[in-house]
Amino acid sequence: MPALLAACAVSMAVYGAVFGLLVGRPLAHGPLARQIDAKLALGAAAPSPKLVILAGSNGPYSHRCEVLEAMLSLPCINAGIAVGIGLDYLFARWRPFLRPGDVVYLPMETAQYIRSRSATRVGPDAAIMLRHDRATLVALPPDRWAGALFAVDARAAIMALLETLFTALGVAPANADATTNRWGDHVGHGRSDAAGSPAFAIGGGSGEPTAADIRAGYGTSLIVAFVTWARARGVAVIGGVPAALDAVPLPADSIAAIRATYEQLGGRFLELPGAARYPRAAFYDSPDHLIEACQIAHSIRVASALGPLLARAVAAPPAWTASFGCAAIPL
Amino acid sequence: MLFGTPIFILGFLPVALGGFFVAGQMGPRAALVWLVAAGCVFYGWSDPLLVPLLLASILGNWLIGSRAAALADAGRAPMARLWVGGGIVADLALLGWYKYAGFVAANVAALGGIDVAVAARALPLGISFFTFQQIMFLVDCGRSGAARCGLLSYAGFVGFFPHLIAGPLVQPGEIIPQLSHPRTFRGDADNLTAGLTVFLLGLAKKLVLADTFAAFADPGFNAAARGATLTFFEAWCATLAYSLQIYFDFSGYSDMAIGLARMFNIRFPQNFDSPYRAPNISAFWQRWHISLGRFLRAHVYIPLGGNRRGIWRQARNILATMLLGGLWHGAGWTFVLWGALHGMAMVAHQSFRRLAPAAPERLRPVARCGGRALTLLFVIAAWVPFRADGMAAAARVWHGMLGLDGIALPDALLAIAPPLARIADPVPVLRYLGDARTLSFPEVCSCLALGWLIVLAAPNVHQLSAARRRVALAASFAFTVQALFFAPSVQPFLYFQF
Repeated sequence: MPALLAACAVSMAVYGAVFGLLVGRPLAHGPLARQIDAKLALGAAAPSPKLVILAGSNGPYSHRCEVLEAMLSLPCINAGIAVGIGLDYLFARWRPFLRPGDVVYLPMETAQYIRSRSATRVGPDAAIMLRHDRATLVALPPDRWAGALFAVDARAAIMALLETLFTALGVAPANADATTNRWGDHVGHGRSDAAGSPAFAIGGGSGEPTAADIRAGYGTSLIVAFVTWARARGVAVIGGVPAALDAVPLPADSIAAIRATYEQLGGRFLELPGAARYPRAAFYDSPDHLIEACQIAHSIRVASALGPLLARAVAAPPAWTASFGCAAIPL
Repeated sequence: MLFGTPIFILGFLPVALGGFFVAGQMGPRAALVWLVAAGCVFYGWSDPLLVPLLLASILGNWLIGSRAAALADAGRAPMARLWVGGGIVADLALLGWYKYAGFVAANVAALGGIDVAVAARALPLGISFFTFQQIMFLVDCGRSGAARCGLLSYAGFVGFFPHLIAGPLVQPGEIIPQLSHPRTFRGDADNLTAGLTVFLLGLAKKLVLADTFAAFADPGFNAAARGATLTFFEAWCATLAYSLQIYFDFSGYSDMAIGLARMFNIRFPQNFDSPYRAPNISAFWQRWHISLGRFLRAHVYIPLGGNRRGIWRQARNILATMLLGGLWHGAGWTFVLWGALHGMAMVAHQSFRRLAPAAPERLRPVARCGGRALTLLFVIAAWVPFRADGMAAAARVWHGMLGLDGIALPDALLAIAPPLARIADPVPVLRYLGDARTLSFPEVCSCLALGWLIVLAAPNVHQLSAARRRVALAASFAFTVQALFFAPSVQPFLYFQF
């Protein structure tokens, strides 16, 4: 039995040393970490009051801060990264940069509300924190520490070794800077680039969560905690719905549950016509990503609706937007 | 209850094991009562209403078996056989009612237009296994002079939780004597260590390897089920991944069962012996799910006549046995097809052995390698209907494996290796490969290479020395902990559905 226990202990020690200290995911997590840091730098540099969009990849792909800033005369940072990034981590990173009077708009993907605690604690941000951002990790609850220590499964371990090898051979990670503008928006995702996505190939992916799922969701509890924090510090939080496929309707009671997530603790909710459901032609490579022309059209809609909510005058869309035409989202 | 869950490992197992040896201090009867009670808790964890079904089945079979044994011992063999036959019919009727009634009704409706209303019912967990287990007991009882046992020993044998719901199918004569040996009821540190080691290695096979390959197999097979076409590499990766998934899943489960039994001082027979290294299809069935193969041979193939009445009768008997084996795995035509394919391959192999001249000595290594490769290729291709959701989906996967729906590779790969562009079309990502990301192709290929290396080149758990088992444990334990406590979801054991 002692030899058996020793083998187990060696296994744990080697795992911790290799994946905690030596081997990371330079190709998969490196660009994510750099994007997060770059967007935080934009947030730190922007004067208050400012508008910050926090979401998954629907943030940068389907929203254009460049348009929102011009129409609302409010500095805007598109801080969305990806659905896999834990909301608690994202909120923890952004809290130091939010000041009284700032506005945080959360057009969260519905998957964010129902993302489980277990999935959240081993997401890509867990490995990023363990390797590069232990200060944020320490500030999060202990189960996130354990999750970060054990975030690497067999697949991730093999990919970590492969990515380390690829990097040593000179393979560079995707350069997000080339497709991100100075507001943090994703740009240049026109129809001609649309890749075959399994989500589209199967006709829109799975259905939307029910109201009960949303109310009970772990992601919902993280958002509620953030709304509470923001209210106490004079930061306005406005919930929203993401741009999504009209083939997968979002039930009215699910919308009501999302609305309640924000409004129950003093946040506000932005309801867009048709719950921002658009036809397939509006989308790029996934049901969360609008093509660039429709990203701009959707952002004009969002700005027009946000203005009254924020008691701000809404200017006309910038002239350059006229060169983009999105037939799927009439204005 | 699942072996690969924290509640089993940290809750149920220590209590069941500790209670067994504490009760063993009070005597074998107390220990057996504890063991049966533990089996009931284990079996009824997700649905307590199934426990009465299990207990009724145990009691009914024991009563019939005891009666048949008494008749056999009294020299009334025909009467004993009648009781045994009645018991087997009753067991198979129960199995048929739960497992095959819907399938039969659907086919009657499709063929004859007769709509037979069969209420949908959940398949009781492990019914295929404990039914076959008890049929073995009944057959033994019908033989004069076979070992007899009391109800408590019998209930302990059938209800012994390590093999209760997914085998291995163990002979009553192998286990019941162990359950009456006084040493069984005393804790044994060596058995505990050896059993725990094998259990942890089996757990690693399931949680670390099988579940990893499931994530690569599912996208392809699910896409085929939805009517999508698969390109060459998508189809092959899905099929190769499923071949590894089912091996690691079921052999992992069997290792866990063997390890658990060993912790209770009970020896189970080996159920897998590196089957993908088999030199021919007959050898494959002596290495894959060995206990089922043994059962089918003893209780179907031999009673049908085996190889005693000429090659045509033998071919018929092999086909019938393998068709039944296929149907045992599930009430569906895809399982029948899988069984038929294996049956035909075995008939072809038997014929080849009879007709083909022996290879010259110097060519034997080549012939052996060729046999291994051909067998492996066949077994992998035959897993397609076993996994596919219907015949049409199976046909789509085979179509893809033949390259009839195109050959595509990620354009990033073709940029690095331009000669590949001569055989493959560039695509941004392969839609049905892993997570359909840019790096999915190297990810899946690396994992498959590692999996097949383990399967084809490494000794199996039972061939490893104690020291090498510890090395394997050192390599896998942390990943097992990761999967056990931190994986967002756990895949159920594949064989639970059978």
